[in-house]
Order: sequence, then structure tokens, then C-alpha cells
Amino acid sequence: MTASTTIDAAPAMPRFALGRAGTATALLLPIALINAIGFLLPVLNLLRMSFNEALAGGGIRETFILDNWTGLFGDSFYLELIMNSVSVSLGITFLTLVVSYPIALYLHRSSGRWRTFLTVLVISPLLTSAVVRTYGWIALLADQGPIVKTIAALGITPPRLMFNTTGVVIGLTEILMPYMILSLLAGFGRLDPRVEEAAMTLGAPPSKTFWRVILPLTLPGIALGCLLCFVLAVSSFITPKLLGGGRVFLLATEIYDQAIVTLNWPLAATLSILVLVIFGAALAVYARVLRVIE
Amino acid sequence: MMHQKILSGTPTASTDRDVHLRLDGLTKRYGDSVAVAALDLAVPKGELVALLGPSGCGKTTTLRMIAGLITPSDGRIIVGGSDITASPTYKRDMGLVFQSYALFPHMTVAKNVAFGLEMRSVPKHEIEKRVKEALAMVRLEALSERKPRELSGGQQQRVALARALVIRPSILLLDEPLSNLDAKLRDEMRNEIRDIQQSLGITAVFVTHDQVEALSMCDKVVVMKGGQLEQIGTPVDVYETPATPFVASFVGRTNRLEGMANGDGTVIVGTGGLRVPGRPGGKVEILMRPHRLKLVDANAAPEGSAERFNRLAGTLTRITFVGDLLQYHVDVAGSEVIVEAASDHGRGFWRAGAPVAITWRVEDTMVFGRGA
Repeated sequence: MTASTTIDAAPAMPRFALGRAGTATALLLPIALINAIGFLLPVLNLLRMSFNEALAGGGIRETFILDNWTGLFGDSFYLELIMNSVSVSLGITFLTLVVSYPIALYLHRSSGRWRTFLTVLVISPLLTSAVVRTYGWIALLADQGPIVKTIAALGITPPRLMFNTTGVVIGLTEILMPYMILSLLAGFGRLDPRVEEAAMTLGAPPSKTFWRVILPLTLPGIALGCLLCFVLAVSSFITPKLLGGGRVFLLATEIYDQAIVTLNWPLAATLSILVLVIFGAALAVYARVLRVIE
Repeated sequence: MMHQKILSGTPTASTDRDVHLRLDGLTKRYGDSVAVAALDLAVPKGELVALLGPSGCGKTTTLRMIAGLITPSDGRIIVGGSDITASPTYKRDMGLVFQSYALFPHMTVAKNVAFGLEMRSVPKHEIEKRVKEALAMVRLEALSERKPRELSGGQQQRVALARALVIRPSILLLDEPLSNLDAKLRDEMRNEIRDIQQSLGITAVFVTHDQVEALSMCDKVVVMKGGQLEQIGTPVDVYETPATPFVASFVGRTNRLEGMANGDGTVIVGTGGLRVPGRPGGKVEILMRPHRLKLVDANAAPEGSAERFNRLAGTLTRITFVGDLLQYHVDVAGSEVIVEAASDHGRGFWRAGAPVAITWRVEDTMVFGRGA
């Protein structure tokens, strides 16, 4: 039936029709162009820049040297910076996952108006810029802020919550939560309440049902959310800059410092390309994880 | 042991000690609406009981309460003498087969079946053995390493059955297990489920809206409507002596006529009189099964005595050929009565528009009061 319909329909198409491949190309062309001009070209430009020589006072000499790259991998400061960036981002990703998962699961199970309301509530932080939210955290986490005061009132010596890694982790975790929750929800499609019930009738208590059935079925959502949050965490700049108080060194803040403060553009370009490599690695891990899940 | 075996084998069954599953005033309310109203039920060991009714009758709610997936508002669930009303699902030891199969999509067939045994910490070598046996029982050994999505609907349902039975549950619960299968497969699975249930001697509760499934597979049929119990009986009881007009019309097909009983054993329908022994006076409805009726010529002499046969005159309005049957639509005093007869190569003896009479045995007349 379907085959014959297709054959019948083919001659009816106008003579100037592009055909299947042609239509796809035509539809993809605009985005391909925009990406080529707006993304690929600047990246190539950055790549080229990373082989230029930085002169004192912010000058750049067009040349082809490996000094930026060898300097990067030969300097323990930068190696530590990379390790620190990746590990802090991984930690933030994990923390975001842990606090977002129960919310996403509850949201997935709720229905009707309540669900709509909760979804809006989850997304609403995205309506405010990260800058504003970060300043909010500064107010909350400050040395004389409500959180520190509350802890002190309980008779415990309060830890420093700001201008260190702790502050960056707290702020970024909250800022990334909506992305994580939405990704998790998108990946919860395979979670059928009947399947959970089947596990329970077969003798699985709630904890085992979670580890053996719910968690494995939500892995695609977890993988997607972690990829997204990791990438956002590595590249985030404003929150680490403000909440880190110049004492937390991460890749994105260092790129800013090199480009704007030190005016060493070739080094900033080198670091930027490095971030891109880390993204590529994260994507590769994600693809691998998805294949294992399937 | 021997003594007990003889006892449970006797047809007198249903003494208290043989009852394996007992529902005692089981009730479920959602706000003001009652999903299940004080249901009492006793299922003897090894019986297959059908909960039959239209959607919304409370049959699935009842099953889910037995499984522990819904908390009853009132009443008790007793299995083998102990009250399990308050115990959580995972401690109830029941095998549940879902309409949507509900297999674990991320596990192989063998892993699905092994799940319940792993939860019971059965030793590994025994798990392997029992999984093999269970898959052999449903004839799926060859597919043990497949994922559920690689199986057909019928195969998935057989895996679900094996998964529910491998744990040797005290009760097997089946929630419309055949509804998602096509007609031919459904017939096959019906026999398969019945055979397995009988060979294991397992007590089972089967929820269905399909009267054919209930009548053909089950030892007992529980007909429900709007959360209320309508009738409990053997398939023959429910079909032949329905307790209410609802049961009569839901289980099998029926014709319905309205009439007035005189109180002297006769009922007037339109201009005709019917014999309905022992019926007090008042408005009544008369129900007859289409295949128990016979179409005769309007002028033909009555067959047998008027004591044993009822007869009503009418006009043949339409003849429908449905393959194995011919359906004659007869207008009787403004109501339509359908008479079914085996079709003989699609040829009917009658022509539409002919004056005819329908006749049937007095004992095939079902009468119910119609209120005031």
C-alpha cells in the first residue's frame, strides 16, 4: 500500500523538485552557514591565534610557534588549573544531579495543574540572569549573611562559604539545577509506573526497586543532564568570578584574565582551544555511555 | 497430608479451611465516589476466579488492592488464614501479570524472569535452573537472551507470565492479560494460561471485561458493576440463571422486552401472553437469548404444548448474515427481537416483511421486576 502510494505520488511532484537529499540540504544550508561564519571561523581563528607570539604590553606577532602550548603543559600552574577546573565541574555536576533527581522524579510522577505549576517553578530561575542570581548568593553566603549567622547561632563555628571553591560550588549547583531537571525529565520517558509495580510485586522493596529498575531506566536522562551541566560548569565564568572572589582559579576565569587583564591573547586562545578539547572529550564519554545503556 | 489432599479434591470444597483468598468487606473510596463497595469473596485453593465487568466497575481496583498497590479504605484481605491487608506489596508473594506486560526493558528475558528470585536471595545455580524451567513452560527457552522490545506482544506476555510464576507465588493475579493481543493469539493464550494454572494448581484471580474469557477459562465468575457485586457463580450459573438484568445482558447476548405480569403466572407483552410460572404481578422485563429462539411461520400450528413453549407474533424486518449465523430482526409490538440460527450456506428461508412468530421454551424466559 505505502509503496504504491509513493510511486503514484512521485510523478505528481513539480519538475523543479529537489528530491529528498536536495530538500535536506536546502533546509540545512542556513544553519550550516551561520555555524560556519559564527562558530567555525572564530574557532579556526582562535586556533591560529594560539600559535602566535604574545609581546609585552598586549602586542601580538603573527608567527607560528609552539611556545603557548609547550608553556601550558610545562607549567604546573596551568596543569593544576585544568585538573581543578575539570574536577570542580565534575563535583558540581554530581551535586546538581543528586539534588535535582528527586525533584525531577516527583515532577515526572505528578500530573495536571500541580505539575504545570511545579514545572514553571523549576524553570522560573532561568528568567533571571545568572549575574543577578549570583549576587543573590553573595548576599546569602556573606560572612554576616543569614546562613553563616544561623550556623553560628547553633553554636557551630561557621565555615567560610564565599570567595572560595565552596561558594562557587554552591552557586553553580543552584544555577545549573533547572538544566539538570529538564534534562532528567526529558530522559524519564521509559519510566513506566507499571514496571515499578511489577518490581514490587516480584518482591523488590522500594530501595531495590530504585537501584535495579528506576535508576537504570533513567540513565539516559542522567547522562544527558550530566553532559549539559558539565559543559556549562566548565565554561561558566560569571559565577566563579564573583563567588570565587579571585581566589578560585578555573579555566573560564583564567581565559578572561589573560584576554582582558594581561592582554595575552595567544595564551587566552590556547586555553580556549583546550576548553573545546575538554568539551569534545565530554561528548565522546556521553556517546560511549549512551551506547552502553542501549 | 493425604487426608488433606482428599478433602480439597472433593467437589463439596468451599469449606472455610479450603478458602485460600478471602476478601472481607473490601472497600475503596475516592472522596465521595465508591470504586469498590464492601466486596466479599472467598476463593478456594487452586481455583481460577474471574472478575468480570465493564470498565469502571471496580474489578481492576479490587485486583490492585489484593496486590497491595492500592490501600483499601475498609475491609480485609486474608490469604491462607493470615490478614495481609497492611503488608506492603513486596512482602505479599503474589505474581501479577499486567495488560501492558510491564517487562523490565533494560533486562534480557532471562534477567526479567530471574528478578523475583534474586529478590528472594535464591542461590545462583537454582535461579538458573528455575528460570530455564519457567521459560520452558511458556516455550520461550530459545529467546532467553533477547530484550523485551525484540519480542512480539504474545511472547512478551508469556515472559510476563513466566516472571510471575517462577517465584511460585501464593496467588497469581492477571490484569486483562489478553486485551493487547490479537484475536487468534488471545484464544491460544487463553488455553495456555488455563493449562498452566491447572497444572500448577495455583489460586488465580483474572480481571477481564470479556465475557468469553471469563466463561471459558474460569471456575467461578464474579460479575461487578459500579463497584457493586452483581453475582458470583460458575460460568454456567451466571449464563443460565443470571441474578440481575445487568448480568443477563453483560454475559452473553440478550433480547429485552417489557411487559406486565398478572400475578397468575402469565405476562402480557404487547398483545401476546407469555407463561412465566411463579411470577408475582407488576411491571417486568423479559430477557431471552437470541440463539434459544426459533422463528416459525405466523400461521403454523404451535409446536408442543402452550404449557412448555412461549410464542409471540411479529414481523420480520431484516436478515443479517454474519458468517456462521443468520440474525433475524423481528419487530414484536414495537420492540426489536433478534433470533439467531445457524446459517446454511448463507441462504435464509425467510423474506423480510413476512409475518412470523418466535417461539422458545418457557424455562428459557428470564424475568426481572422493573420497579414501580
